[in-house]
Amino acid sequence: MNTIMELTRRSFLKVAGVATAVAVTGLNFVTTASAAAMDFVGKRQSSVYEADAKIYKLRKSQDNPMIQKIYAKDGFLHDGPCGHKSHELLHTHYFDRSAGLKALRAKGIKLKL
Amino acid sequence: MIEIEGVMSTGQLPNSADPNTFSMVQVDPEKCQACGNCHEVCPTGIIQPIDDSGIHKVVDPAGCVNCGQCLVNCPYGAIYEQTSFVDEILAKLKDPNTVVVSMPAPAVRYGLGEPFGMPPGAFVGGKMHAALRKLGFDLIWDNEYTADLTIMEEGTELINRISKPDPKHPLPQFTSCCPGWVKFVETFYPDLLPNVSTCRSPIAMLGPLAKTYGAEQAKVDPKKMYTVSIMPCVAKKYEGLRPEMKSSGYRDIDATIDTRELAYMIKKAGIDFASLPDEEPDAVLGMSTGAATIFATSGGVMEAALRLAYEVLSGDKLTNPDIKAVRASEGIVTASVDVPKFGKVNVAVASGLDNAAKLCEEVRAGKSPHHFIEIMTCPGGCVNGGGQPLDPGVRISDAGSPLLDNYKNRFGISC
Repeated sequence: MNTIMELTRRSFLKVAGVATAVAVTGLNFVTTASAAAMDFVGKRQSSVYEADAKIYKLRKSQDNPMIQKIYAKDGFLHDGPCGHKSHELLHTHYFDRSAGLKALRAKGIKLKL
Repeated sequence: MIEIEGVMSTGQLPNSADPNTFSMVQVDPEKCQACGNCHEVCPTGIIQPIDDSGIHKVVDPAGCVNCGQCLVNCPYGAIYEQTSFVDEILAKLKDPNTVVVSMPAPAVRYGLGEPFGMPPGAFVGGKMHAALRKLGFDLIWDNEYTADLTIMEEGTELINRISKPDPKHPLPQFTSCCPGWVKFVETFYPDLLPNVSTCRSPIAMLGPLAKTYGAEQAKVDPKKMYTVSIMPCVAKKYEGLRPEMKSSGYRDIDATIDTRELAYMIKKAGIDFASLPDEEPDAVLGMSTGAATIFATSGGVMEAALRLAYEVLSGDKLTNPDIKAVRASEGIVTASVDVPKFGKVNVAVASGLDNAAKLCEEVRAGKSPHHFIEIMTCPGGCVNGGGQPLDPGVRISDAGSPLLDNYKNRFGISC
C-alpha cells in the first residue's frame, strides 16, 4: 500500500509540475532553464577571465618567480620540467578499468556509452 | 546526516581506503521524486531508475566518475555526499602537533563568495587566503602554484611529444587535470591511455611537493604535515584517495573538501567572510599567475599551455597573452594556432564527457588532427564543478509545482 501511495504522489508531482510549466511557459521551458543555468556558470567564467586580465600581475606560468626558483640550477627540480625528479614525484601512470565496465554490462546494466 | 550549504552529507570519512569500491554521491530514496534530472546530466548514465516508481540510484561505482553533476542539478536535494573530511580537519586544526596545509584550487575563489551573499562568480582569492589563516591553517599554500607548475611539466611533455615522436607517447596529448575525465578514459577508452599526459593534476603535484620541497623550505617535519585539498569538485575526493598517490613517501593528500564544505567551516567558525581583508598566500608554494587561475574554466588549461608553448616553440615573446580562440563556454571548440618558426598547433577543448567521447572516437579511428586536447567533465569547466555552491535556481521549494518554482527562482518572479 505504501509503495502505491508513494508512486501516486511521485507521478502526480511529476505530471502536475510538467503540466504547469508547459501551461505557463510553453514548450521552450527546458531549453530556457538550461540556458539560465549556463548564464550562472557564464558569470563565474567571465569573472575568471577578468581576474586573469586585471588582478594577476603576471600572466604566464614561466614568468612566476617561484616557478623559476624551483627549476633553477640549484633548485629542487634542477633537472628541469619532465626531468628525473619530476617524473618520480609529479608524473603518474594510469589503470585500465574496463573490466569493471564489462562486469556491469554482463549484469545487464545499460549506460549511455 | 548533516546539511552543508544545502547539500546533505553523511559527514563520514571514506567508506574504504579504495575509492573504487564506492561512489562519492548517492541518492536518498525518501527524497527522490523520480524526475530523472540526474540521469539526464550524468555523463555515463550510471545513476538510473531502479524500479517502476522511478526512484534513482548510482547503481555501481564502476560506472560513476564522481563528478557530482547529479547532485548540483537535483531539484529536490535528494542526492547526498558519502565522504567528508570536515570533522577530521577541524580536529587537526586544533592539534598543536599537526601542521595543517591548505591547497585551494583556482575555481574555489570564483564560488566561495556566493554562500556569503556575494554575486555569482565574485573573485574572492584574497579573502579566501585570509579565511584559511583565520581557520588556523598553518601554511597557506595554493593549488594555483602547481597549476603554473603543471603548465611547465605538461607543456614540456607536449613539446617533447611533438619534437620527438614516440609510439609509446603518441599525439594528440590529452590533459590529465580532471579526475572525472581520468576515471572515464580509464574505464571507457583504456586503449587511449598512452595519449593521456603523464602529468599528475595540479593538486596531485602540490601534495607531494608540500611534503618534500615545501617541508624543507618551511623547516617542518613532513610526518607532522596534514595536506588539505580544497576543490570545486567531488571527484577530487576520489583522486586524493587513489592508492598510488604517495610519491612523497606519505599520503600525498590527507584530506579533500569541496567549496561548499569550506564555506560551511568558515560559517561554523563565525568568521565574517565578506569583511575580511585580502591576504596573500605563503609564496614558496603559493604564488601564481593569470595562467594558473584560468584553469578554473573550460579552455583555461589550453590557453595557459599555449602561452608557454608559443614562447618555447617560436623563441619569441607572446605580447598579448589573450588567446580567445580556445575560450570555451560549452561544447567542443577547435582552433589552429599559428606559431612563428614552428607552424600550426591544432588544439581542441571539450567540456562534458559526451563531447569528450566524440573526440576520443576520432582519436581511436586515427583521424584526429589535433596536437593537444583539453577535457573537463563538468560543462563550462571547474567553476561549474559538483563541489561548488548551488545555483539558487536549481532547487524547488517544499510546496507547489517544482518546475514552476524553478522558473520563478530563475527569473525572479514572485507571484
